[in-house]
Amino acid sequence: MIELTIDGKRIEAEKGMTILEVAKANNIYIPHLCWDRRLKPYGGCRLCLVEVEGQRKLMAACSTPADNGMVIHTDTPNLQKARRTVLELLLVHHPLDCPVCDKAGECRLQDLAYKYGPSESRFYAERKHDPEATSALIERNPNRCILCGRCVRVCWEHQGVGAINFIGRGFKTKISPAFEETLDCEFCGQCVDACPVGALGAKPYKYRARAWFLESHDSICPYCSVGCTLTLDLREGRILRVRGVDGKGVNDGDLCGKGRFGFDFIYGDTRLKTPLVRKAGELVESTWEETLYYVANRLRDIKRQYGADSIGAIGSARAGIEDNYMLKKFMKEVIGSDNIDTSARLGYAWVLRALNDTYGINQNPIKLDSPIGKEVVLVLESDLTSTHPIFGLKFLEAKNEGTYLMVADPRKTKLARRSSKWIRIKPASGTVFLLGLINYAIREGAHLREEKEIEGIDGLIESVKPYTPEKVSELIGVDTEQFIEAASRFVNAETRLIALTVGAAENQKGYETVLAAANLLMLLGEGPDSLQVPSDYSNTLGAWLSGTRPTEGGKDLYEMLYNPGSLKALYVMGEDPLVTMPDGNTVKKTLEELEFLVVQDIRLSETAKLADVVLPAAAWSEKEGTFINSQGIPQPFPKVVSPQGDSVPDWQILRNLARVMEHDLGITELGKLREELSRIQTDRGQQRWRFSPVEVPSVAQTTTDYPIIMVTGNIMQHSGALSVMSKSLSHVLSDAFVQISPEDAERFGVKDGEFIKISSPLGEVFIKARVSDEIPEGMLFVPVHFAHARVNYLVSHSRLGNAHPTPVKIESTSTATPRR
Amino acid sequence: MEIFLLKNIDNPESHRIQVYQQTGGYEQLKKALSMKPEDIIQEVKNSGLRGRGGAGFPTGMKWDFASRDPKLPKYLVCNADEGEPGTFKDRPILEKNPHLLIEGMVISAYALKAERGYIYLRGEYPHAKVVLEEAIREAYESGFLGQDILGSGFSFDLSVHQGAGAYICGEETALIDSLEGRRGQPRIKPPFPVNVGAWGMPTVVNNVETLSNLPLIIKIGAEEYKKIGNPECPGPKLYCVSGMVERPGVYELPMGTTLKEIIYEHCGGIKGGGQLKAVIPGGISTPVLTPDKIDVQMDFVSLPKVGSMLGSGAVMVFDESVCLVRVCWRAIRFFEHESCGKCTPCREGVGWMRTVLERIESGFGRKGDIELLQDIASNITGKTFCPLGDGAAGVVLNFIRNFPEEFDYHIQNKKCMVEA
Repeated sequence: MIELTIDGKRIEAEKGMTILEVAKANNIYIPHLCWDRRLKPYGGCRLCLVEVEGQRKLMAACSTPADNGMVIHTDTPNLQKARRTVLELLLVHHPLDCPVCDKAGECRLQDLAYKYGPSESRFYAERKHDPEATSALIERNPNRCILCGRCVRVCWEHQGVGAINFIGRGFKTKISPAFEETLDCEFCGQCVDACPVGALGAKPYKYRARAWFLESHDSICPYCSVGCTLTLDLREGRILRVRGVDGKGVNDGDLCGKGRFGFDFIYGDTRLKTPLVRKAGELVESTWEETLYYVANRLRDIKRQYGADSIGAIGSARAGIEDNYMLKKFMKEVIGSDNIDTSARLGYAWVLRALNDTYGINQNPIKLDSPIGKEVVLVLESDLTSTHPIFGLKFLEAKNEGTYLMVADPRKTKLARRSSKWIRIKPASGTVFLLGLINYAIREGAHLREEKEIEGIDGLIESVKPYTPEKVSELIGVDTEQFIEAASRFVNAETRLIALTVGAAENQKGYETVLAAANLLMLLGEGPDSLQVPSDYSNTLGAWLSGTRPTEGGKDLYEMLYNPGSLKALYVMGEDPLVTMPDGNTVKKTLEELEFLVVQDIRLSETAKLADVVLPAAAWSEKEGTFINSQGIPQPFPKVVSPQGDSVPDWQILRNLARVMEHDLGITELGKLREELSRIQTDRGQQRWRFSPVEVPSVAQTTTDYPIIMVTGNIMQHSGALSVMSKSLSHVLSDAFVQISPEDAERFGVKDGEFIKISSPLGEVFIKARVSDEIPEGMLFVPVHFAHARVNYLVSHSRLGNAHPTPVKIESTSTATPRR
Repeated sequence: MEIFLLKNIDNPESHRIQVYQQTGGYEQLKKALSMKPEDIIQEVKNSGLRGRGGAGFPTGMKWDFASRDPKLPKYLVCNADEGEPGTFKDRPILEKNPHLLIEGMVISAYALKAERGYIYLRGEYPHAKVVLEEAIREAYESGFLGQDILGSGFSFDLSVHQGAGAYICGEETALIDSLEGRRGQPRIKPPFPVNVGAWGMPTVVNNVETLSNLPLIIKIGAEEYKKIGNPECPGPKLYCVSGMVERPGVYELPMGTTLKEIIYEHCGGIKGGGQLKAVIPGGISTPVLTPDKIDVQMDFVSLPKVGSMLGSGAVMVFDESVCLVRVCWRAIRFFEHESCGKCTPCREGVGWMRTVLERIESGFGRKGDIELLQDIASNITGKTFCPLGDGAAGVVLNFIRNFPEEFDYHIQNKKCMVEA
């Protein structure tokens, strides 16, 4: 601790803080424009100058470390003069177009000019006349730019992207993408929030409202499981934009593109506004009353004819826990069936199973800042900055603070680009890589370091015997030396962490991968906190914890979806199995063989198009609800806009349906529902360590017919079903694509941008090819969430939850054009 | 005094390693490699060598800081980004005596335990690049660079990195940014490059002339070295004189030679027998001196006593035929062009000073313009991120302070005093 005096106030502070940080912590105001809590001090704007007694020069508070005994003045006539001059100089070229600037009213320069600035300038100059630069979602007005560099720095230092930088020198400096091309980045929009003036703006918000007319509400993001707090700005009952606000939520002001721009899915064209009932083969509009009676009758009939066990339900990883709990309650009390599950079965359930088989625990919520301060972090075949962007940022932050970031991934992901060590393993060989690490750790005697013996050690030692460094490096496709170097780094570290994702959209990791990771960590004496596997979507964990799964021996998702004929009726709430789940053919067959299919959704999904009845549900923000994020934190979100058309919150639909079926579920309003929910006991369980050897890790096998491995997954702008409804996100990316390496493109005669035919034993699809060096030879990467691409029809499902990469064959659809 | 830095300069083949070796070149390297690195650093400290780039920081102290930092690898960077207007003192070394610099760098690297070195060369010195690269090739061939130099076990690699033509990259942290492949902009200090420099590692950045002094210190030892010139900041110094003198050029003289001696003895006095009006002693950023102050010794300690600085030792001489408002305007135009754009006062303020000076010079000056200039300048001084802005403001303030009548005349008569 150090002690210093600011404006006559004696203050204690931590050593290493800057003067500005100390002042902020003590509510002493020092003006600043280029400083950002998340970024390294820059010292460019020169507004935060302060007087330090004994120092000849004025010091920039943002970049001067506070020192013991310093006597600091933050507001003297001399400083006011200096600040006035800085503002006067900034305003020399700043266009005074506040009346047409969207930033007016929340502009930092405007605020400071009011506070300090003279109303007249001694200078007159020609303004800048650079044309505005537009892009998919971000508009740049270079004339308003004051060159504080926050956008440049947030993009490079914090986001790890570097899409923009300063161009030119001195007064002619401007901020631009390389070679002044059109901005083409991941569109996280962090630069927009960072800009203190109106030089950067969100295109969907342009000219939509004056800042002072906006009403703001905090909500929780409906996309991934990080559960960021979004600040929704509304005007006249419509959400116009989303901001991240410093200090709010688990994200502390950071947002990704989905969170910031993807909110407009609720205004999508495909939203359902009335119930639909299939009559004479066509879905026709109907009333709630007629529809609910119809559903009630059909369900009753099927139950009477085939028994309650012939009816199943699928809950939603995107709907709140209230909705999912109500579905479970409906199934249990009204139908009398335990056949209920969610998409978690295909991914997160296997994670929990693996953790139970090793650490003996039932849950393992992640901690967002877990990578920070670790000596070595291993990210295994997971594009965390795309699937869980704000969690992903923590890995970049850890790296910046000195963590050795090791990324084992065939894809050149953002984390791979920014890693300390990128090991380009073969697709779907992550498990083998881990087994190699276990083998290496045993050779190094790691299992002898711990005093207590863990059950099953002999089995583990035996099981990894074949995975010698030589063998593993051959299997994963890297040099033995490189593998040993990485293994030694990981095994010999003081602290370490393994992070990966396992999800329905991904086919290169599974149960065995988590098992291997847990075995390795236990061997090194690390508890479950060192294994960070986030749940997929906003409420994957919540749906699981609220009991949306078979708890009394009912059918799970595999049995319901991949066993045609086993069910007669299915009630699908907020899920689109036909698009998001593997082996689309089987899923389709199952759905088609049903006697009765009800789909309750916010839009007419692909699955809904097969349904007998489609019920319109209110979307996120049109209803209250609660998501449980991957940290296990329940986060309520409010209703801020009116539901579209006749749509009704999911839980109310189920309540109403129960009433029509003459069952009182005892729940009339949300409070009652939440009260019941709060009684559900969930605990992590006692740790009881035992090794569970991985039996036969699947290494992707190609054949002469199917010579290339197809890996599926989520991408930055899209995940699952909601994002494709968002117009904003579709501006960035609206079409399905397959990434192919330049080598394979050459080999198979594929040109960038052309449609190619991909076939697996399960079927064939046509997708646009993107030649990219992010992908190694012998691999394709395909995002799964574009319904029309039907990629999931090529992918097999795995009842064992194992990695099941898909060998495929590709063919160019264009005949070779002769060269001119 | 024996000429050391510019030895052989008249020999057209002076840049060849044979010529350099014939006159004792690389002998000091052999001697240095037999010494302990710590002893070399101590010797440099004892010699009192101060950096010749402009700031005059004691070289031994800088080395000491860097060698105490345990991080490895360490880097040695030669600052050959000679961009200060009026300065061309390093050029003869770079173009005519490159092996002296290379020998100095190998000795320094050995003392610092740096295994990688760079010569950051000014973009506008294309000929020097050719010469240096050829010299480096020769040095590699002769075993003075590369692995296991002269069987000592010490290895050192050296290459030339050419700048892209930015004055700011002469500032050591901006230089490092540029070297790393970034846009050259000064970094926040602390941490200083000696601890966190190129790629985050301890980095010593020394001027060409500074490093070229190393062989001499090794040769004659700190005690003898201290006897050259002013004992408070000893050694030979290169003065480059330009402007209205009979014989402009680079002169190697003992540190502390008086300005008068340089102008009137070595350079043959004012051109055409004219009258001295003003002299800038150390490059455009150093305060201008009036003729009554030319008895000053040209070194790091004496010049501050008369309100100026030694800077790079670039003497610019102006006689009665020169309009100082024009000189001032021309200097500010340079600073405006070279301002990196990072901090507000320099980026916006220097441009403004240029505008005001331009209107004074071109006969459109207004009453109050001098006060306006002084106000902007004093609000730039001490408030910018790096010394570039200070330098620009200093030029304006010093020219106005020393020659107010010229500015007044311009504003009142809408024309130049000199032409009248």
